[in-house]
Amino acid sequence: MIESQVRALFTAIASSEPGASQVDTQLAHRRGRARLRWRRFGVAGAPLVAGAAVAAVALAVGAAAPARPSGPVSSGPPAPRQFSPLTPYLSFGWLPAGISPVQGGMSKHLVWLTAARKLDAPYDWELSAYTAGTCHLSGSAARELKCTAPEDNTIRLTGRAPSLHGHRAFWAGTWDTPSLAWQYARNGWAEMALPFYPNNSAKQAAARRDAVKIASHIRYGAATPPLLFPIQLTHLPSRWRVSSVTYVPDAGVLRASSYALGAGPPNLGADGGLVYQTGLPYFAVNPPSFYGNPPCYRGERGSKIINGYQVVVTNVIKEQLCAPRARGLIVVISEFGPHPAISVNSLFGRHLRLLGPNPANWTSKPIG
Amino acid sequence: MSGSRDAEYTEYVAARLSSLRRLAAVLCGDWQRADDLVQAALVKLYVHWGRVRAASHTDAYTHAVLVREFIHERRSTWVKRVRLSGGVTEVPAAAVDHDALLDVRAAVAALPARQRATLVLRFYCDLNVDQVAEVLGCSPGTVKSQTARALGSVRRALGPAPADGPGSQPTTRVGPHTGEGAPGHD
Repeated sequence: MIESQVRALFTAIASSEPGASQVDTQLAHRRGRARLRWRRFGVAGAPLVAGAAVAAVALAVGAAAPARPSGPVSSGPPAPRQFSPLTPYLSFGWLPAGISPVQGGMSKHLVWLTAARKLDAPYDWELSAYTAGTCHLSGSAARELKCTAPEDNTIRLTGRAPSLHGHRAFWAGTWDTPSLAWQYARNGWAEMALPFYPNNSAKQAAARRDAVKIASHIRYGAATPPLLFPIQLTHLPSRWRVSSVTYVPDAGVLRASSYALGAGPPNLGADGGLVYQTGLPYFAVNPPSFYGNPPCYRGERGSKIINGYQVVVTNVIKEQLCAPRARGLIVVISEFGPHPAISVNSLFGRHLRLLGPNPANWTSKPIG
Repeated sequence: MSGSRDAEYTEYVAARLSSLRRLAAVLCGDWQRADDLVQAALVKLYVHWGRVRAASHTDAYTHAVLVREFIHERRSTWVKRVRLSGGVTEVPAAAVDHDALLDVRAAVAALPARQRATLVLRFYCDLNVDQVAEVLGCSPGTVKSQTARALGSVRRALGPAPADGPGSQPTTRVGPHTGEGAPGHD
């Protein structure tokens, strides 16, 4: 009796599906890619159950493991000890035809840049560069590159690659996430994920050749289009700083697409390209065209008007305010933790200047 | 499926999104939260895609990701604190007793996350005890006991049955912390 009632309940719920899904699969894809970037090697280190094919690949990888390098490379300028979250550090000097930069980001110890045919296409190339001293060769016969920030990552080296500007380079990654790792400056390492062609060794070989060419043309610390913010925060505690940023090329500038604030060491770690801190907000500001589905729920629950703008506030995992029409932009403010220093409502209502969709009105100073 | 990891993932999600939303809604009892749950699960699904596609049953792995995300979310004390209403959102019932359905809904909504997930996997996904145990990362015995406790709680919440003895409880005993001590897996 009870079982049948429970079954009926579940069936009724499932059959009441609203027509429009609020799930943004493209956004999930992007966040997944970003998270994988941070955790790729931890994940890859977990057991894979793919049978003999995987085992065969693993054996082949093991056979190609590199010999210990002959000696440390100590020439050239040193890598930065810290990156600025407001200054894109990387740019591509060459990319294959049809490929262009689509997204990038900066945090204290890591800068990254992705290139693909378009933003929501699979990211063909994912470049990451670490600050000085963050990564070092380890393991027997130097088969690993251990990086300690933003999280502990172990990059598995699978073979020697052609040296880049006299610096040592290695093929790295796993069977389905191949990459190229190299020393881009004294005491600093970079890594770039390659496209993966599971059943096409010719294309995979071409990707390797392209990877070496891309890596040899990367510009470090060179001038880039300006990084601009379509909102400005005001009257914040003096210790609050922008701690990490993701950006997208937009109308000839680099538009800050999301960014997090920090006031000390992050205690939530890095995820989705940002470095989160409990109790401090992070922001996503994008035009509606950025999203596959509007990120704000249209339901009345939690909807209110602040400064003339409709906002939707939800509390699922985190406190989140979403303004779907904030001067032509979608503004999302999120905070983890039970005791935010400033609530999302207050941030939107009292600490936010909306600068609109025109890049001419955007600012390079996210905190005014 | 063919092509790169991303193409496989995109193809799979497009094909399964609707069923994932329904499962999430049954777990949450709320379509709004269900979409949030699916959104979070899809990110994890991508991160673990190498294992997902290597799994013998992709859908089972995906359901496990979703269910564990649900339990993990509900386990957060902060979430419990901010989710003050505990309200039961309206569901347009089909050809069933509407009042009875609302009573059952309220009773199921009051269950701890793991017990609710157990019921969903048993009576919505129609998984057997061993399969549920695999999804939840616990023993079959735990699944059986969680199922019994959950059904018992629902039964009590719906009112004492005539056959119940003097020890029966007219009101539900379940609360946010009840039953959360089952073997963890997060």
